[in-house]
Amino acid sequence: MSAQKGLDRKLLRRIIGYLMPYKHWVFLAFCLVLIVSFLGPLRPWLIGLAIDRHIVSGELDGLSLLIYALLAAIALEGVLGYANAYFTQWIGQQAIYDVRVRVFNHVQKQSLSFFDRTPIGRLITRTTSDVEALSDVLSAGVVVILGDLFKLVFIAAFMFSLNWVLAIVTLCVMPFMLMVTMWFKRNVRGQYRETRKQVARLNSFMQEHVTGMLIVQLFGREKVEMKRFEKINDDHQTAQLKTVFYHSLFWPAVDIIASIAIGFILWAGGVSAIGGALTVGVLIAFIQYCRQFFEPIRNLSDQFNTLQSAMAGAERIFDVIDNDQSLPESGKLQPPERFDGEIIFEEVWFAYKNLDDGTPDWVLRGVSFKISKGQNAAIVGATGSGKTTIISLLMRFYDIQKGRILIDGQDIRSMKIKYLRWRIGLVLQDVFLFSGSIFRNIALDNSEITIEQIIDAAKSIGADHFIEQLPGRYHHEVRERGVSLSQGQRQLLSFIRVLAYDPDILVLDEATSSIDTETEHMIQRALERVLQGRTSLVVAHRLSTIRHADTILVLHKGALHEQGTHNELVNAGGLYHTLYELQYLEQEQIVEMPQ
Amino acid sequence: MQSLTRLNHYFIRYWRLYVPGLIFTIISAIFAIAVPVVVRQAIDSIPRFATLYSQFEATALQHSLYWNFFWTLLIFALIIIGLSLASGLFTFLMRQTVVVASRHIEFDLRNTLYEHLQKLSTRFYNHIKTGDVITRATSDIEQVRRYIGPAIMYSTRALVIVIASITAMLIISPTLTLYALMPLSLLAAAIFIVAQLVHKRSEALQRQYAQLTSRVQETLAGIRLVKAYAREETETQAFENESRIYKLRMLGLARVEAAWRPVFLIVVGLSEVMVVWVGGRLVAEGLITIGNIAEYIIYVALMTWPVAAFGLVISMMQRASASAERIYEILDHVPDISDDDRSNHSIMKINGHVRFERVSFRYEDDLPLALQNITFTLPAGQSLAIVGRTGSGKTTLIDLLSRLYEPSEGRIIIDGKDIKTLPLSVLREAVGYVPQDVFLFSDSIGNNIAFGTVGASKEDIHQSAHEAELLETVLEFPLGLNSEVGERGVSLSGGQAQRTTIARALIRKPRILVLDDALSSVDTKTENRILEHLRKRQGHHTMILISHRISSIKGADQIIVLDQGQIAEQGTHLSLMKLDGLYAQMYQRQLLKERLESFN
Repeated sequence: MSAQKGLDRKLLRRIIGYLMPYKHWVFLAFCLVLIVSFLGPLRPWLIGLAIDRHIVSGELDGLSLLIYALLAAIALEGVLGYANAYFTQWIGQQAIYDVRVRVFNHVQKQSLSFFDRTPIGRLITRTTSDVEALSDVLSAGVVVILGDLFKLVFIAAFMFSLNWVLAIVTLCVMPFMLMVTMWFKRNVRGQYRETRKQVARLNSFMQEHVTGMLIVQLFGREKVEMKRFEKINDDHQTAQLKTVFYHSLFWPAVDIIASIAIGFILWAGGVSAIGGALTVGVLIAFIQYCRQFFEPIRNLSDQFNTLQSAMAGAERIFDVIDNDQSLPESGKLQPPERFDGEIIFEEVWFAYKNLDDGTPDWVLRGVSFKISKGQNAAIVGATGSGKTTIISLLMRFYDIQKGRILIDGQDIRSMKIKYLRWRIGLVLQDVFLFSGSIFRNIALDNSEITIEQIIDAAKSIGADHFIEQLPGRYHHEVRERGVSLSQGQRQLLSFIRVLAYDPDILVLDEATSSIDTETEHMIQRALERVLQGRTSLVVAHRLSTIRHADTILVLHKGALHEQGTHNELVNAGGLYHTLYELQYLEQEQIVEMPQ
Repeated sequence: MQSLTRLNHYFIRYWRLYVPGLIFTIISAIFAIAVPVVVRQAIDSIPRFATLYSQFEATALQHSLYWNFFWTLLIFALIIIGLSLASGLFTFLMRQTVVVASRHIEFDLRNTLYEHLQKLSTRFYNHIKTGDVITRATSDIEQVRRYIGPAIMYSTRALVIVIASITAMLIISPTLTLYALMPLSLLAAAIFIVAQLVHKRSEALQRQYAQLTSRVQETLAGIRLVKAYAREETETQAFENESRIYKLRMLGLARVEAAWRPVFLIVVGLSEVMVVWVGGRLVAEGLITIGNIAEYIIYVALMTWPVAAFGLVISMMQRASASAERIYEILDHVPDISDDDRSNHSIMKINGHVRFERVSFRYEDDLPLALQNITFTLPAGQSLAIVGRTGSGKTTLIDLLSRLYEPSEGRIIIDGKDIKTLPLSVLREAVGYVPQDVFLFSDSIGNNIAFGTVGASKEDIHQSAHEAELLETVLEFPLGLNSEVGERGVSLSGGQAQRTTIARALIRKPRILVLDDALSSVDTKTENRILEHLRKRQGHHTMILISHRISSIKGADQIIVLDQGQIAEQGTHLSLMKLDGLYAQMYQRQLLKERLESFN
């Protein structure tokens, strides 16, 4: 219990840390709430005074003065209360904005291995609804809690000044109130965590199934998926219902305890009033205090409520933030204008993950090669031999475990990641489209790239033809999943992009493979020109692509088997030769296959 | 608010919870309202006893009078405690019925929404952002639940307490009641104005929330691209911008919501002042007692929360109605492709004879025809290959066959029956479709394959994985077929993921197998082995194949060359070669390349 409490406090302190940039404003809000907390308890005191001095005695002359004082207190409390409520929201939203951007940036910064493992739905929940839960604490939470605490102090002060016996009677009930609140806190906390988990599961399922609805429908899986959804939905409901149960028990309990206090005040107060030790006005003031007294406690536990859910959300957010798997950015090196483009892999070992026994599951095993400036290199090998990995490593999507990767003689880990990727142009086999115009999808919001550059690039590969036919042409809105564009058209877009970005090193991942012969021809032509003067690394299993290469890297089970030109390799009679013959012979075989 | 009335049938469904719930609410409110009456009697008894006590000053009776009073007050106290215990018990029961019912309704509503989403066609999904759908299915439903549960609970309880309190007050003094309630009447107008504003602003807030969510979703889905082009900063800027707008919307809402509490405070405070001021005079005139003032103060205090709850409830209902509107926007969207009275449910099986009759299609009314006048016949068991340039309509054609869209003109006939008369489930059951876009669920490879058919056995999974040339590769993974794939199948290579989708289609043993450029990421060697497996099945299924490799197309019984949405050429490999048109050109070019490659 105590360990958990310590953790809570640490977590809370960390959440409050986000308010530090606004500490002056928080201080101001704090002053406001101090005044408001004083004005509330002042009212029963004034009413008690009015009853004792004027109403009981029947001297109504001075009553108006007290009434004016009451009115002033109410008006002031209202105005300051409003200002305070808006103000705390304002502070909170500033802080929330900071947290949200921080989480987003953190997530975005993570290396790809993080994204390989984490479902997007979960990350969306972190940046949206978990942050939202935190907002309740940051906006009202801290100041409101302090305000309530002050209110308690003020009420206690007023009570003791009026009658210490009744004050003690009222305070005697306090421990019960605290106990109930503590019990509630203990039970609800774990429940909130469970609820959030279920909400995330529900969101993940929704996200994935809405995205993959086509597959669900095509495969007629509606019924089965419905059942799975119902199960997840049911788990979610069960978690929620447990929370409801604790709430159902807690709120009445608080009311009952408050009533016990009132009952005892009447009893003790009445008995002492009979001897003249207490006036009716004070008794009435105490009945009001009794209600006022429990309101902040109730609010506080209510705040505990939001605090609970916020803590659960915060824990998840901090889990993400603390688990930084982004690549270390040293970036000490002053970047040159452009890369010359010499690429060296030195004894590179790499694993995406560890095996169950903890040893790395090597994907690349000591790969070494050199691509000189301006050379066009092709990587060949069977599927899964590590071709794509080499590209990902050159782009520094992942960090290698052993060895070095050098561009122009400099380790890529010593360069600014942004600069490195900026100078390397990548064409991916899986073409992703953002919602927005064709223009946006090509330029990716890079203000340095003009529409003219894009049109020129499109023309140079003959892709302007199909874009011109779209309604709105370059401003044609691509639907979220790019439904209105075919795979080939999308690949053309990524080629236009790579041309517009004008990189020093060009990297292609099986990109030409799914384009029809016509388009491929178009791109082949454009590529030839683009490749001129640029170092390039192309993953392909098409002979047409690799035959033009200056050097061919033959990968086999994560190791570089051979390197050389087509002729050299064929003459060497090694693995490449076999691979080549196999592909060549198979193609021949199909051509001659009997109908 | 109209959208909320549409939820009424849910209340009826759970009347077994709601009816007792409402009864519990009323009972608990009545017990709560009885407390002030007891308090008044206790207070009023004090002066009486005090007078009596002083009259018997210094007599033996005074002592017993003291104890008499002592016990009387204790009984009052115990009654108060007893009443609140009873009230508390029923409050507990109220929450356990009404709030539980609301959770049930939330559950039902979510299921209904998801079920409906499954029925909506591709055309719907082309028009709506994924993030938007998710927001509706999550936070909008939560808003609606707050109306169905807490809002109903609070408002009922509030109504009962307000009515009961006012009645009790009127019995004591109509004048004082009038003055005490005067400020409260102002509240109605204030609530209305604030609520209107809250409604408008919360709607804007929700919209922005959806916008924010889809922004994150998109960036994360395209993270590879974002990183490759070092666009993190622009993405951050865009996200910051959305967050900033969200913050402004939130503060706009806060400006009006901050008014709730002060409005109530001032109104209730004024009521209290009235009670003391006017009540003081009435006490002086001897019309009411001091105890009545205490009683009135408690009534006003008792009404504070219910009246405040009215405000909250209205704000909840405002939000809920906005959310319900968004949910119903989806639920009201009639699936444009579904079984209807034309469907002939006696059809249980499809043989696989496919015929297109003068089929034309356009995606939108303002877009040009994507397919124009397509006619062909594909006998059951035969294979058809479709070739053509990018954007010539190949994928559209097979999307029509799976009935993802309806043809704008013409008919598609399967086994001699119009496709519209086939039950959708029978049609889709018969088609094994491997789409161009690889989509896998974040589940194990085995489960992704088994997704193709209900109740697939381990052998089935192995068999189809083998036919898709996936088995060997996967068995090399430490967990074999149990290896998990990332959300978009990231830990698999492009070719492996593609072969998984092929296995997923093959496990269905489909009558019609459709491969939409499904071998593009697979190397030639593997491709040939897969085609070999498929050839073994020849005659068992009709096959439609889109490919750019002549090598895989050549063997087809029939080849269609599409050009700008029209059939340019049609025939077998031999007849098309003889025709010496587009196909022959394509073939020549590939052959030339292959020759070039093979010689040097």
